[in-house]
Amino acid sequence: MTGKRRSQWIAGLFVLAVLTYLYAPIIVIVLFSFTTSPRLSMPIEGLTFDWYRSALDNPLILSALTNSLVLALISAVAAGIMGAAFSFGLMRLKRPHVREALIGASLLPAIVPLLVIGISLAVFFRVLGMPQGLINTAIGHLIVCLPFVVLTMNARLETFDFSMLEAARDLGATPVRTFLDITFPLIRPSVVGAALLAAALSLDEFVITWFNIGNQQSVPVLVWGMMRRGVDPSINAIATLLLTLLVGLVICSNLLGRKKRS
Amino acid sequence: MLSLFVLSFWRAKGFELIPDFTLANYEKAVVSKLYRTLLVRTVLVGFVTAAIVVPIAFALSYAMRFVFERRGQLILQLVLLSLFSGYLVRIYAWRTILGKQGLLNSTLQWLGLINEPLEFLIYSNIAVVITLSGLLLPLAVLPIYSALLNVSRDQMEAARDLGAGRVHLIRTILLPLAMPGVRTAFAFAFLLAAGDFVTPTLVGGTQSLLIGNIIADQFRGIGSNWPLGAALAFVTIAIVLVIYLAVVQILARVTR
Repeated sequence: MTGKRRSQWIAGLFVLAVLTYLYAPIIVIVLFSFTTSPRLSMPIEGLTFDWYRSALDNPLILSALTNSLVLALISAVAAGIMGAAFSFGLMRLKRPHVREALIGASLLPAIVPLLVIGISLAVFFRVLGMPQGLINTAIGHLIVCLPFVVLTMNARLETFDFSMLEAARDLGATPVRTFLDITFPLIRPSVVGAALLAAALSLDEFVITWFNIGNQQSVPVLVWGMMRRGVDPSINAIATLLLTLLVGLVICSNLLGRKKRS
Repeated sequence: MLSLFVLSFWRAKGFELIPDFTLANYEKAVVSKLYRTLLVRTVLVGFVTAAIVVPIAFALSYAMRFVFERRGQLILQLVLLSLFSGYLVRIYAWRTILGKQGLLNSTLQWLGLINEPLEFLIYSNIAVVITLSGLLLPLAVLPIYSALLNVSRDQMEAARDLGAGRVHLIRTILLPLAMPGVRTAFAFAFLLAAGDFVTPTLVGGTQSLLIGNIIADQFRGIGSNWPLGAALAFVTIAIVLVIYLAVVQILARVTR
């Protein structure tokens, strides 16, 4: 028993160390968005909201935020619908080999560095003659979001009872009716959850955006410009706001998934 | 899947940007000493990052699966949540922590443990590896943890009852069963670390630029050269893939 206790302690300390490693950066940013000293160092001298004020005074923040929200909305709706349709189709496939192969193919973009996807798209659009801008970026975001949407949808559709659809059809329901009355109400929480995840991914996406947005702004592109110019504490303020939004979206997405399972 | 399509497209169209079909860009990419140095450094940084990330991810997954039975889920959620806490933000934060007057140095000085700031912490390869490992750890946990889900506790108990020691157990039962997950985790860490350009820009110095920086510069910035960037990208992809496949082969032989 004491041996088991001891190994639990060691494992606990290890897990704590790893979590500290993962969360230290986030805590630091949030903390320093409220401190008076512009030099980010210890000890802390005082607290202030000034950095939030100067962040909101930035003339570019409004257009950046608008663009980011538009991109997030497009990603959420498009990735939600496409991802749901794709994994719904997958689940109905009878041959496991084909299914495995298709799942693998749909997850491939997740393992390709964003730099490669970003420049590939830039070249692709240039060849097509499309000027850089929000549309190109939105398509790029869709590529980043789809693997994650498909992954979450697959996990959640595993418990879906397809025989219900057959029952409805046997009782004379048209495919459209079946979808509206049975399929959609049942999968709605999963689809919305996956869509929120896509919105979060899109809001945070920088690399693909950077190569495709041209001279427009998005929140990460704006932040990147500020970071390269040097230490500006209002970066911490913008980052904290973005962080709150992202974590909120992901937690909502998770809660929606859980409700369906119970 | 769309990206795969685009990617295959790119191979052909990348060269069409230049009026005549030429291998000069590839020649430049292979012959240039600067690019070669950067490529070697990129591969090393990617490899070291993966070598740090994969064992930690394995130990963490092991703890979540077999030590903390029910709280393991909560820990997993926390680990994955950190993925959604801002990509740029987390890299920038490491600059804040590791900087010359950053959190770590100023705290150590405040505590009187050091007199001069530790300069190797920032704008160095070490800073790049520390930051990349933090970014990629959650991604590496995912495949390893799901591979460990396939190993039942009963199997572990049975082996233990038959007198297998912990190390023996991990080596002969757990590792072979978790191998597909370990392989995926290694791929994530190695490929994504080798393809990152934001981290070396923000926390790396002039001595720790990676090939990604050069490629990115060819596509955005003054004096950009798209065809050269494309050639560099393909040379990098080819080298990284060959090394990845070699590592997978070696891993497979070692665990057999």
